[in-house]
Amino acid sequence: MKTYLQLGLILLAFCVVATALLAYVNTLTKPKIEALAIEEAQKAREGLIPNATFEEVNGALTYYIARDKTTNEIMGYTFTAAKNGYNGTVKTMAAIDKTFKLINIQVISQTETPGLGTNSTKPAFTDQFKGKNAEQLVVDKDGGVPPNAIKALTGATITSRAVTSSLKEQILLLQQDLQSNPDAVATKGGKP
Amino acid sequence: MSFVSELTKGIIKENPIFVIVLGMCPTLATSTSVNNALGMGLAATFVLVCSNIFISLIKNITPDKIRIPVYVVVIAAFVSIVDMSMAAYVPALHKSLGIFIPLIVVNCIILGRAEAFANKNNVLNSIADGIGMGLGFTLALTVVATIREILGNGTWLNFKIMPSTYDPMLITLLAPGAFITLGFLMALMNILKEKK
Repeated sequence: MKTYLQLGLILLAFCVVATALLAYVNTLTKPKIEALAIEEAQKAREGLIPNATFEEVNGALTYYIARDKTTNEIMGYTFTAAKNGYNGTVKTMAAIDKTFKLINIQVISQTETPGLGTNSTKPAFTDQFKGKNAEQLVVDKDGGVPPNAIKALTGATITSRAVTSSLKEQILLLQQDLQSNPDAVATKGGKP
Repeated sequence: MSFVSELTKGIIKENPIFVIVLGMCPTLATSTSVNNALGMGLAATFVLVCSNIFISLIKNITPDKIRIPVYVVVIAAFVSIVDMSMAAYVPALHKSLGIFIPLIVVNCIILGRAEAFANKNNVLNSIADGIGMGLGFTLALTVVATIREILGNGTWLNFKIMPSTYDPMLITLLAPGAFITLGFLMALMNILKEKK
């Protein structure tokens, strides 16, 4: 009995030391890691809408209002959309203009099949989203006809559907959200 | 055994992948491209050397009965510290290696070497063993990845080397392809060994 208690206590001591070390390193690194993540997201947004300042909106929905740097006019909105693909969540950052047409998208994280679903990050796939509105966000296999729909990457269309439908849902949610938030709606030129 | 022979044995004679057959999970996952293979190999080498030093240092104060849980705690704590520090101070490196770091915790080469070598030998030899095994792991991963990347994607280290008419064999990039490649390479190693 005594030996087992002793063994348990020794193991406990190792765990306490390890946990203390980890906690210490965590307090040192956490603020830096968070700052870097924010900076990276900011860079991704600037890549989608250049020459704009971004203002975060944190309501039922989190999105960013992009304003022109010189005129301060609303240029559009950016948001992230996510949905399960074949092998995990596919996360996409997208920018839409004030008429809710996509300006550009970027797949920011995915773990899809190499050579098939991973091609979703390539411009050949993402470029077809440019200029599409919510109704046009349909994969060709579901009845859409390109160029008014998205041409799927493969016949199984799992990744393509994940990207397309997550974007569509987010755009519709954003449209709804903006109706209740008149401050964020572009007033000059262009319908809400 | 001398320092030099401890260092070189992991590269061919006791290669962790082809001979000891340890660490299959990261091998399958990261040998899809030469870039990933090098990243995983070097990150694992670093952790392996550090954990070998640590385990060798604490071998006299670790009771035999609970050595395995102690090793797991030491390795997991060490990997987490490396992960957090890299994310905070070298974000560019962390971005390219980041996905491999959690995989290192479950890399049985590290636990295997702690159990089979570091807890019986002094610090210097444990360092040699860690470096040798790490390099052997990196080398083996790179060989597997070279074959898989060339056949499956037509590239090597992202340079296109196959003619544009080449239709990539996608299966080599998927998990079955890794097993097939590994099987052929192990057979080749056995033929060479028997000839000696």
